Amino acid sequence: MKRSNPGIITRCVGKHGPTRRIIIEPPTRSTAEENLRAIVSHDADGAIIVDNSGVVRFLNSAAERLLDRHGAELHGQVFGFPLVVGERAEVEVLRPNGEFAVAEMRVVSIVWEGQDALLITLRDVTFERQAETALREAEEFSITILNSLTNEIVVLDEQGKIVAVNEAWLRFGRENGITDLAAISVGADYFAACAVDKTLTGGIDVLQGLRDVLAGNKEEFSCEYELPTSAGTRWFALRAVPLRGKRRGIVISHTDITEQRRAAQLAAEAEMLREQVRQMERELTNVDALSRPEDTARSRLSSLRQRLPEVFEYALHRYGSLLDEALQSRIHRTQLPSRALRELGEFLGSGWATPRDLIDIHLQAIRQRSAQSPPKKLQAYVEEGRLLLLELMGHLASFYRSLAIGELASRPPEQ
Amino acid sequence: MSKIVLHLYIAGHTPRAERAINTLRQMLEHDLAGYECELTIIDVLADPQQAEDQKILATPTLIKSSPPPYRRIIGDLSSVADLLNVLNLPPKTGSSMINKE
Repeated sequence: MKRSNPGIITRCVGKHGPTRRIIIEPPTRSTAEENLRAIVSHDADGAIIVDNSGVVRFLNSAAERLLDRHGAELHGQVFGFPLVVGERAEVEVLRPNGEFAVAEMRVVSIVWEGQDALLITLRDVTFERQAETALREAEEFSITILNSLTNEIVVLDEQGKIVAVNEAWLRFGRENGITDLAAISVGADYFAACAVDKTLTGGIDVLQGLRDVLAGNKEEFSCEYELPTSAGTRWFALRAVPLRGKRRGIVISHTDITEQRRAAQLAAEAEMLREQVRQMERELTNVDALSRPEDTARSRLSSLRQRLPEVFEYALHRYGSLLDEALQSRIHRTQLPSRALRELGEFLGSGWATPRDLIDIHLQAIRQRSAQSPPKKLQAYVEEGRLLLLELMGHLASFYRSLAIGELASRPPEQ
Repeated sequence: MSKIVLHLYIAGHTPRAERAINTLRQMLEHDLAGYECELTIIDVLADPQQAEDQKILATPTLIKSSPPPYRRIIGDLSSVADLLNVLNLPPKTGSSMINKE
């Protein structure tokens, strides 16, 4: 048996018997080159054979297409000595129209036309690289969107592993004393962290809510939780929604709501104090009604504000100052000088002020301060003001009492 | 030895191109510092005519036009040792370099 094909079997001895023997002889150089030429010519990848100076000796049709040039044009031209570190290198293949393709280059030493040569294989990977670039850009775009959000965002897969986080989340971790950021970064187990630690996760109570969203039992899960920090307690709103897409998972956002919480708390306190002021106004109005003189006297004596506005303004100013001093005395735990208050009582008495006028002054002073003071200070004003008003009424009563006694003493005996 | 004249052809500032530039700078500043060297970097996207004139078929391509023999290298230019070997330039330290872009 003989085969003229590249190959290898040249003779077969003992055609029909068990002693059959095949002798394989190495192909001749020319046959090997013919084989190589046949393989390279039909290779789907571009193939260029260059000599040791980098001059083109052969190129296949795939290489012509890749370079967009005719073989005859390139034959004998210097392509270059190919350098590959490792198995392959990537190069840009330039085309006459100015476009270029990206090719993966491999190099093998061969013998070509009796001389040492290099077989350069060029595989067009332009599409793959473009796809990789597009994918990378899409991922970068997604990360940019996540990083543009001020909320802390964590994305989990269906096992509860973190698959994406944003910068705000990592910053939040750093600010709250987490030194090992890997524990809250991609790859970490959020569910496990929830089970053991409340920090940054919302705690164990959140775990069931997240599992419900993941299982599709809930469209959304949200809760508020507090976190003790070095700067005091902070409040956060956690909201978890399913990941919309082919991959199952959850998107969790943590929003710092401490300021909103504080504002709501202050508004509630302020409302409570306003209610206290209104209650006090009602009480004092009742006291005023009880202390009114007879209808005849009342008709003769209109309010101090109407009769003597300058006296009223001065008394309001003095009372306000004494109220501020009373608050300072409360803070510094010092005694408020009652002499000033007694003098104010006598001053008001000289203007024939009534308890109703004192209440008027007191309420006006409190109102002025309520507009400018935080709730806690306003509460202190209200508490101190009550004591101050009572003391002032006492001084006014004493003044009128001493005046009445003096009047009686100065009357002639027959009256 | 006469002045070493090198031309590097790149297609935009890709990571491949940056790697080639860094390797060449390192080679010229350290291994070939004892020679007078001139390196010119040509971006074929900015100057396609020069690439066509020189029949540049792929990038990165490094051409050594002086001293003889003429050498043209294509591919991974990240190994100084391989470059020196293919360029047939024995290392020599301690001189200056002219860099053109």
